[in-house]
Amino acid sequence: MNPLELTLGIMTAVGGFVDISELVFAAKAGSMFGYALIWVFALATGGIMVFGEMSGRVAAVAKQPVFNLMRHRLGLKLGLVTLFASLIANLITCAAEIGGVALVLRYLTGAPYLLMAVLAAAVLMASMWVLPFKWIERIYGLLGLFMLAFIAALVAIHAPWGKIAGGFVPQVPHGLSTKEYLVFAYFAVAIVSAVMFPYEAYFYSSGGIEEEWGPKDLPMNKVTCTAGFGLGSLLSIAILASSAQLFTPANVSPELLGSSALEVAIPFGWIGLVIALLGMLFAISGAAIETCMANAYSISQFFGWEWGRHRKPWDAPRFTVTWTVLFVAALAIILTGIDPMQLVEYAVLFSILVLPLTYLPLLLLAGDKSYMKEHANGRFGKTLGWFYFALITAAALGALPLYVLTSGGQG
Amino acid sequence: MKPSDPLKVVSQLLDLPLIDCNGNYCGIVDDVAFTGGGGKEARLDALLVGPGAYRGRMPRWAMWLVRKIAGDRMTRVPIAKVKSIDSAVHLTGAAEKLSLHDVENRVRAHIPRVGAM
Amino acid sequence: MRKLLLLLLVSCAACSKGPQADAPAISEARSLAAEWALVNQQAAEQKLTAPYVRTMHASIHQQLQTAATSLTQPHSVYGREIHALLKEPDAASPGALRARADRLKQIEDSLESA
Repeated sequence: MNPLELTLGIMTAVGGFVDISELVFAAKAGSMFGYALIWVFALATGGIMVFGEMSGRVAAVAKQPVFNLMRHRLGLKLGLVTLFASLIANLITCAAEIGGVALVLRYLTGAPYLLMAVLAAAVLMASMWVLPFKWIERIYGLLGLFMLAFIAALVAIHAPWGKIAGGFVPQVPHGLSTKEYLVFAYFAVAIVSAVMFPYEAYFYSSGGIEEEWGPKDLPMNKVTCTAGFGLGSLLSIAILASSAQLFTPANVSPELLGSSALEVAIPFGWIGLVIALLGMLFAISGAAIETCMANAYSISQFFGWEWGRHRKPWDAPRFTVTWTVLFVAALAIILTGIDPMQLVEYAVLFSILVLPLTYLPLLLLAGDKSYMKEHANGRFGKTLGWFYFALITAAALGALPLYVLTSGGQG
Repeated sequence: MKPSDPLKVVSQLLDLPLIDCNGNYCGIVDDVAFTGGGGKEARLDALLVGPGAYRGRMPRWAMWLVRKIAGDRMTRVPIAKVKSIDSAVHLTGAAEKLSLHDVENRVRAHIPRVGAM
Repeated sequence: MRKLLLLLLVSCAACSKGPQADAPAISEARSLAAEWALVNQQAAEQKLTAPYVRTMHASIHQQLQTAATSLTQPHSVYGREIHALLKEPDAASPGALRARADRLKQIEDSLESA
């Protein structure tokens, strides 16, 4: 393991962990339920570690990305259903991320939102055209480390560390009304969805092929997934904890994306505000690119086209056209004027419904000795994998009823 | 695995990606064709690649949609052109020679060759 | 069967109007008022940038307008409170905004216990 590569990989994973949905739900969860949902973030992070590691291992050993092998495993018809479902979920997520970037640019500059959306889309598409894969991943991932300002802010406001530690213990708050219990359950489902978004596994596994991983990279894959995602989730937990500390006493249940940045402005002033907004800008930008590329990967791999940003755009022409069209489609959704915060709700809902379809083929593939040989899931891996599959299936079944009963978490 | 080895068509061949001799992706095994007929020995003859090959695998209404979106072209890859099969089907020849990159090349003509690192 | 359907329709109609139906909008307005107060307090302490404050004010106002428009009983006590909030200037004092948020919170709590 090259220590520099490993460190860069972990830092990239940390900086790229948070996206708009985690920002929004962490802040709201903290203000509404204090520290009581921290354990759900931790539990969901365990899930993305497990499936992230599997998707990287499948890429390194079978030398094929998840969607290629998924179609082989599920067949054409069920494969098409999975492709279509994940396409919709990722497209809505991509639109929410572009909207998020536009909002942050507006907070930074005061310029009109729709103009910022067009500018953001143009800059992100230019990045995807000009930069090879590794540079795209590294630049946005490392610049996303500005998000560490949220952890610094949590320290600066003298957070109650005992209560935060207590939040890691699975719990349901006492004395809630029936409606509040339903809202709590909705937030738990939404957090699982936001942390385990399907695009993450597709992007990570395709990235492994882009970087030509082999069995020798398996230890790095494991460390990147555990340390990178683990440390990254601390950013979300810091946002939640600061929200509990600052917003709950003020009766604020953050309705706006910009509210999270107040968590850093309160202890550090306008410099902290700007750093927090820059962190949000790069983290959400990285997520916009990832969701778009994940969709382009999925379509190209499903139909056997040339794909990847390790090739020049004209060497993978249908892949290039696909991500261009998808980005423009996501921008078009934003230009209809729909509130990006509403898109975040839809993205989280659609994604949790698709998650079991996404992760089941991956779980089966990672345990298949004919592809994975001696690197197939062991007993521990299988147990963890099936535990998380059961969890996301339960979450998927409860998502729609909870969304309707709680008016999307409003109560 | 070689194509002459015993293999299970559905679980070990169908829907695998095709990779040519230069390492380029050039399609998916969308269906297979056999020689022989009733009462005769059936032999794997060719791999069928392209949306036209979905005909036997999808209901009529879905095939109508596929034809509207992607057309119904189909390329036959003779089994003799298959070098080996593992998590992909590896071909002996280049995708261009097997007419597997025709659409890719048509699209490529419209992509500007500027600016990318 | 027809009677059951009629009962269901009447129940739905009853639920879709009135304070209980307006509860999410009241909760949102309360939170926005409190957020507005927090922004103005931090702005007064020079902790925020001008573009950020302008954007937050515009967004808060827009969301409050949406909440006000969605009310099924706009002339109720809470409806008048939300419309009064909309009339506040952007740079309203944090104290005044918090007082409005507190009043909406009281209404919210009374609806929940009803």
